[in-house]
Amino acid sequence: MTQVDDGSAPTAVGANWTRADGRAKVRGELKYVADHPAGRVAHAAAHRSTRPHARVLGVHTELASQLPGVLAVVTGADLHKALGDRMFTGPAFSDQPPLAVDRVRYVGEPVAAVLAIDPATARAAVDLIQVDYEDLDPIYDVQTALAGTSFVHDELKPSAVFGDLRHLSGQSATNVCYDYSLVDGDAQSATEAAATTVSGEFWSPPVHHVPIELPCTSAWVEGDRLEMLTTTQTPSYVRQTLADMLDLPLSRVRVRTAPLGGSFGAKMYDRLEPLVAALAWTQRTSVRMAANREEAFLITTRHGVEVTSSMSAGADGSIVASTADVRYDTGAFADVGPRITAKSGMVAPGPYRVANVAVRSRCIYTNKPSAGPFRGFGVPQVTWSHESLIDELARARGEDPAEFRRRNLLREGDVGAMGTPMHSADFVGALDAVTEAIGWNSPLERPEGRFSRGRGVAVGIKAVLTPTISNAVLQLNQDGSATLLISTVDMGQGSDTIMPQIVAEVLCLNGENRIRVVSADTDVTPYDTITAGSRSTYHTGNAVRIAAEKMRDKLLELAAQYFQVDRSDVGLVPGGVMNARTQEVRTHAELLHAHFGARGTTLTTESNFSTQWQPYDKATGRSPKVTEHWFAGAVACQLLVDRQTGRIVIEDMAVAGDVGRAINPRLVEQQLTGAAIMGVGHALFDEMVFDQGQVVNGTLLDYQLPSVKDVPRKLTPIVIESPHRTGPFGAKGVGETGIIPVAPAVANAVRDAVGVRITRLPLSPERVLDAMTEAGVAR
Amino acid sequence: MNQIDLTVNGRPERVVVGDDDLLLDVLREQVGVTSAREGCGVGACGACTVLVSGRSVSSCLARAVRYDGADIVTADGLPVDDEVVEAFVDNGAMQCGYCIPGFVLMSHELLRENPEPTPDEVAAHLEGNICRCGTYPEICAAVAAAAASRSAGAR
Repeated sequence: MTQVDDGSAPTAVGANWTRADGRAKVRGELKYVADHPAGRVAHAAAHRSTRPHARVLGVHTELASQLPGVLAVVTGADLHKALGDRMFTGPAFSDQPPLAVDRVRYVGEPVAAVLAIDPATARAAVDLIQVDYEDLDPIYDVQTALAGTSFVHDELKPSAVFGDLRHLSGQSATNVCYDYSLVDGDAQSATEAAATTVSGEFWSPPVHHVPIELPCTSAWVEGDRLEMLTTTQTPSYVRQTLADMLDLPLSRVRVRTAPLGGSFGAKMYDRLEPLVAALAWTQRTSVRMAANREEAFLITTRHGVEVTSSMSAGADGSIVASTADVRYDTGAFADVGPRITAKSGMVAPGPYRVANVAVRSRCIYTNKPSAGPFRGFGVPQVTWSHESLIDELARARGEDPAEFRRRNLLREGDVGAMGTPMHSADFVGALDAVTEAIGWNSPLERPEGRFSRGRGVAVGIKAVLTPTISNAVLQLNQDGSATLLISTVDMGQGSDTIMPQIVAEVLCLNGENRIRVVSADTDVTPYDTITAGSRSTYHTGNAVRIAAEKMRDKLLELAAQYFQVDRSDVGLVPGGVMNARTQEVRTHAELLHAHFGARGTTLTTESNFSTQWQPYDKATGRSPKVTEHWFAGAVACQLLVDRQTGRIVIEDMAVAGDVGRAINPRLVEQQLTGAAIMGVGHALFDEMVFDQGQVVNGTLLDYQLPSVKDVPRKLTPIVIESPHRTGPFGAKGVGETGIIPVAPAVANAVRDAVGVRITRLPLSPERVLDAMTEAGVAR
Repeated sequence: MNQIDLTVNGRPERVVVGDDDLLLDVLREQVGVTSAREGCGVGACGACTVLVSGRSVSSCLARAVRYDGADIVTADGLPVDDEVVEAFVDNGAMQCGYCIPGFVLMSHELLRENPEPTPDEVAAHLEGNICRCGTYPEICAAVAAAAASRSAGAR
């Protein structure tokens, strides 16, 4: 009788496996993209526009070309000659050139590129390039953009990615690249008839992701193929984009990734990749481009958003109406702004039962760096509005803000204003957990004098991106270890840890450190829509589960053959298979060795998991299935406001998220606390400051990020589990859940502490003091 | 150009550097150490931290030519049983992991100067390092655990 591993399987799901490569990360041995040797390459740098909006009349490259060590200088016109209009890329609109062709649209847009023998020479040479401009009317904000006297793009050109944008094709004389409306009932009449109405003008500024790893892309031509190693969350998208741009079959474009040093949405879609690919392909050379921090601030941002909104209650305390006019500043290129505009607009009323809803959500071009996805996908900005309003509505009615929310929150099976039912979205559980954790119902000590104490709470709702596609290929190695091929990119969220846990659970493998996830490589790993939107645990997790179940079926078939019994007489046991008749056990290694007659062999299965949706109704913006599942989160906090300086100190914060089922509870808690800490930055100080379209605080000396000293004195993550009926073991993602309600929870606590409602983020000391002065509150 | 001698993780290295070459670039490109990384280029994030004779240096601001003869330690050169590394691993003090070597080296510097730091002293010493994933609670727990494990070992 063979000894079977007495490993932890099949209880891998729910276990706190140590993070894959954890030790290598701590020792700095894990290689990120820029840590891979570059070899003999041409180093690229970009000359960037100094004008927010201008025609390019001429680009003078002679001096740069003559600098010793310069290999080539390439302009937008050069690329256009080589690639034609295929050089314009983008996930929603084909509006983004790798180098400006005849017009620049923001300060910092690449106009020409230098290839040189080292980065210093490339950077020196770009300063020698001169550009002749003819200024056009610049658009610095959404109000000017909506006034419509100047246009960022002459014509809207939807790319093929979003089917629902086709109707915009060819439209001109507009800066609005997406206009989503949600209508349910008659919000106007209901608002007029309501017992209590509160309203406000809310502002969330543009902020930056600032993953500490900087963007870095290398590309080279090998025979008739383009190969690339790059910092991206979207390798499958990048391959398609480069294939389209270079007019190559997908098989001749290879995009590789390495683990990312953080991303949060920054490293998605079209960043450095189109430019580096175009340079490598047209110059037939190996090219490496590494952005510095100042450049990284120009590559993408989070949308600054204005919301004009109202919320109304009936005499019975129900919410009878909610309205919102939401305006996303998407900058010079749409990026994925249209999708953000719709997905966030549809939850602008919040996670509440609301009888009448009217939302308009627009995506608007301006002459600023492009805004794209950022942890929360536009939802934190509308949550800032609805969670501030509902707090005021509760106060106007003389009710406890938590209890008022609780009564009106959506429950399991309730249909939200957007038309889709709730499932596995325990808003009430999350609210109760966070309020209990900070002692909401215990008496609050309100000191006299300089420091005022307050408590606040907020709840958030977000849909997972739908429809999307994930695939997985699983190789079970003869020794019982396994190799998993997926295109999910681990950027700190822990996918390289939890996907193996799913495999181990299904296959009864003792898998910790024995199941390897291959870094996404489009030559090797199968298509995956994106690693973003908290979608991987559910979607890729399901693909991995299915691949593992197919592997289980294969193993049982082999076991039946081996023991010469019926299939129903064999079963998996930890580490192997068992003949149920004789209790005889064989390890995976023994079974596979017997089957193949060789060591080192592999057994392979593959799978697909795709989700479907029903598109928005054209008239109402509603859909009975707008998403595959929901994220439900809540944050409560207690803080002190220094009435003399305006400084806020968070004493206690609790953050809860309904994750369906935690595959790895410790990693889930890390996502919740990490998101809360990032959210504290957004609440208190994160802000990109622009002066006439130019970023003026785009360095880490000027742009403040949360440090260890900004962590709440007490921070409690709470995992809520209401299993999803089709999640892998009931699980859903968690990357964004925690960040969504942070800023309004903080502002609601400030309101509680000093009696002032602040509607513009961040809650900097100056803003707190100004708001107190304006409201006539004693300091 | 200047020829300088360094000791990096106990191994002698002879490199040729220009007057403006940064220690970070020399370590990465000539010595082949990639655990020190650029995050900001202005000494504001700590991802490029190295220890020189036990003291932390932001190698993205340091001109290599001034470090002739220096004894440099980077995170990948720490002993295999290093208590700080063990404590970080045990406490799950990493998410994306990019900044963590800098925190490990800062923790080494702290514990050498102050073997039993209070939580406030830990925060004060690590304040200049940025972890955008927000792993600070786990990092602080790891430093406390490393301090405890060292003081237990010393008894």
